[in-house]
Amino acid sequence: MIEPILVARGLSLAYGGTPVVAELDLDVAEGESVALLGPSGSGKTTILSAVAGFIDPMAGELRLRGALVADASRSVPPERRRVGMVFQHYALWPHMTAVETVAYPMLRGGIDRGRARADAAALLERLGLAGLADRRPSELSGGEQQRVGLARAIARDPDLFLFDEPTAHLDTPLRAALQQELVTRRAATGTAALTATHDVAEALAVADRVGLLREGRLVQVGTPAEVYERPVDLWAARLTGPASVIDVMVEDPGDVGRPASVRIGHAVLAIPGIATAPGPRRLLLRPDWVTLGGELPGVVREAWYRGPHTDYRIETPAGSIDVREAGAQRLAVGTAVGWGVRRAWPLVDTER
Amino acid sequence: MSERGRGSGVAGGIVVAGALLLLVVWPVAVLVGNALADGVGPVAALASERSLEAWRGSLIVATAVTALAVAGGLGAALLTERVSVRGRGALRVAMLLPLLVPDFVAALSWQQAYAPGGLVDDLTGIGAPWLFGPAGVILVLAAGAVPLAYVVIAAGLATRAEPELERAARASGAGRLDVWRSITIPLAAPSIGAATTLVMVTSMNAFAIPSVLGTPDGFATMTTRIYRDLAFAADSESFSRVLALSVLLAGSTLLVIGAADRFLPRGPIRSAATAGGPGSAGRPSWWAAVPLWGYLALTTVLPLIALLLTALTRGIGLPPVPANWTLDHFAEALGGRFLPAITNTFVLAVAAATGALVLGAVVIAASRRGGGRSLGSAVAATFAIPGTVLAVAVLLAYGGLLRDTLWLVLVAFLAKFWALAHRPLQGAVDLMAPDPVRAARASGAGSMTVLRTITMPILRPAIAAAWLLVFVFALHEVTMSILLYGPGSETMAVIILNLQQLGDPTVTAALAVILTLVTLVAATPLLLRAGALRRFGWE
Repeated sequence: MIEPILVARGLSLAYGGTPVVAELDLDVAEGESVALLGPSGSGKTTILSAVAGFIDPMAGELRLRGALVADASRSVPPERRRVGMVFQHYALWPHMTAVETVAYPMLRGGIDRGRARADAAALLERLGLAGLADRRPSELSGGEQQRVGLARAIARDPDLFLFDEPTAHLDTPLRAALQQELVTRRAATGTAALTATHDVAEALAVADRVGLLREGRLVQVGTPAEVYERPVDLWAARLTGPASVIDVMVEDPGDVGRPASVRIGHAVLAIPGIATAPGPRRLLLRPDWVTLGGELPGVVREAWYRGPHTDYRIETPAGSIDVREAGAQRLAVGTAVGWGVRRAWPLVDTER
Repeated sequence: MSERGRGSGVAGGIVVAGALLLLVVWPVAVLVGNALADGVGPVAALASERSLEAWRGSLIVATAVTALAVAGGLGAALLTERVSVRGRGALRVAMLLPLLVPDFVAALSWQQAYAPGGLVDDLTGIGAPWLFGPAGVILVLAAGAVPLAYVVIAAGLATRAEPELERAARASGAGRLDVWRSITIPLAAPSIGAATTLVMVTSMNAFAIPSVLGTPDGFATMTTRIYRDLAFAADSESFSRVLALSVLLAGSTLLVIGAADRFLPRGPIRSAATAGGPGSAGRPSWWAAVPLWGYLALTTVLPLIALLLTALTRGIGLPPVPANWTLDHFAEALGGRFLPAITNTFVLAVAAATGALVLGAVVIAASRRGGGRSLGSAVAATFAIPGTVLAVAVLLAYGGLLRDTLWLVLVAFLAKFWALAHRPLQGAVDLMAPDPVRAARASGAGSMTVLRTITMPILRPAIAAAWLLVFVFALHEVTMSILLYGPGSETMAVIILNLQQLGDPTVTAALAVILTLVTLVAATPLLLRAGALRRFGWE
């Protein structure tokens, strides 16, 4: 079996004396992109700082490419870890031009000044940033600064990229563009990446696997589809996207190729893929899992037209649900509407 | 800004211009006029052996002190701001303490600690005869200037050069020393430059330490030469030399500042990165703090203990053990003989602090309302005039009118400390967001009500800090007052310096201890504030 690039075992971290991360286990495989998704204060950035070597663990161990880099007593300094970090606030050096910035990690790698400069210029060229080569950070926009930050990380030729909320400080249209660029560029290098983000869209879009981080603990790790479609609990469901919860009675759990029978109010619906014992249950409904125009009764309470689609909030006897429908708003607030369920996921916990 | 505010702004501008004229411009003009009227006297005096000696002395002292103090300050700043030291907060405040020891007290205490016959000589048999002479002057001045350089550089490191920038370099493969060399120090260049200028000007204008430690050895600087020529000589050649050296000293100071302005990197280099997180990787360690605590112990604590022991011990030559202790010297220091000087000191300090505060506020009021920033710059420039030169100028301009009164000293104090009060006030006003004031106006408050209910409460800490800062400086002041005092207008600092020259170490020490304690008490709020600000802002 191929050794993962990054292995964290029982990793406990503190920040300024306060415990932040407790007994974290995490692997990042060769070429894999893993995102840590969590609200602010959940420990994402702290984990990245520990991997980079800015924070030493209190307990547990960290391995990079099989080599132990940190445990409770030893710590390899950051400059000997071969990680390429992209920072939330760009962290470009104000006294250096873009080409000097990108040449910096090359110089540290022992390449002579002239070569490093040429290589840095070539790298900027390849990334389409040749025009920025002689500019300082103060002469660059936020998006340009972060592109130079990415170039610097690539210039490090790292074993692992660390992206710390790389797009959090950019405007929405720019953010999407830069996210795409990060994905493409990273994929081109074939290097593994660990991304910290509080933006679910970013996490689902950039990662092969997503780890959901709650108060310093990983509550779930899975593919983007897994964490979106099969969250382990209500907290995870709410973190990974819009979540409505309704109370139902599962009459027949169904089986492979046979949908489950679920009673919602007075109607019984056939819903595929619910593997749970019969009895009263709480079901997670994503907005895209609900169809308008079914047999279940409801009333439109709120409606938001968002361009490509419209979001409705429907009041039903089973609870309030959010529904997303493509196209313009066609139902006025107060209209009675029928609805149906294409897909659902039973929640194991009872917390609301 | 508002139409209604114009009138008061113009009035403020007139007040500021008038005060500048009376306190600074006129005296300096009289000094220059005297020098010109003296014909070839000053030119000939400049070429004399004594002048050249003094000029050379000042140059050597300023250069050596600057090199030592900036290196020391930079090292200390890197240790507290970029290395994970244990007890960082305490260390930051402790590094400010040497600034509170008046410079003549520092000179006396080093003498009591390290000179032949001092405490260290008593304990180990090692005395330092070289303490009297250029080496001692340089060492004691440098030890006192390290915190000055430290404060400026550490502030630069703390507000800028954020850890993220250094982390980015570490993640790029740079070792810690590499990061300091290629990122931290280049980014701190503006504050290192500012520290260099500040230390160079301060050490060139220093008077008390060269006077106490240099004069016995015959080592003269421009300031001590001017003092001796003015205080102990009556011939016209000496007076010509006073005029010539005053102009030369002012010119050298302006040259240093001008050169710094022209050639040093300016202003903070902007970056998008913001502060956040601890300044460095790794576990906090004790070893990094050792050099700093060692520096404080050897340069400040041990000398002050020696001074205290001298003040407590019954007679010179007796071992400083409890059996020989007495409070007689303190009783004498506080007794009737010195009471007028103690009163003078406090009256002057309170008057100077209050007057400088009012003047500082007027400058802000005047420059806020379209009066332009030039007034503020003019006031700041007055601080650059060496104390010795200012005192000579004030003496020439008002000596006839105000001879032997506290007013003469007060004029010089106000001229010198005006900028000191203006700076923190201006800083606080500049930092103040416009929104609270706008919200109050939108809530129906008039401009005077806003001033009373919003602006003043927000500025109160800065106002208190500005007052205390001037108060502490006025307590310390000796460079100007030694030239301006007369019978009945002596201050404690003047008495201490004169007694020391008469060779009465015990009562001198007692007075010095008292003055240092008063200073410490007065400055405690300033220190606590500095500590609190940094804790909130940084850690």
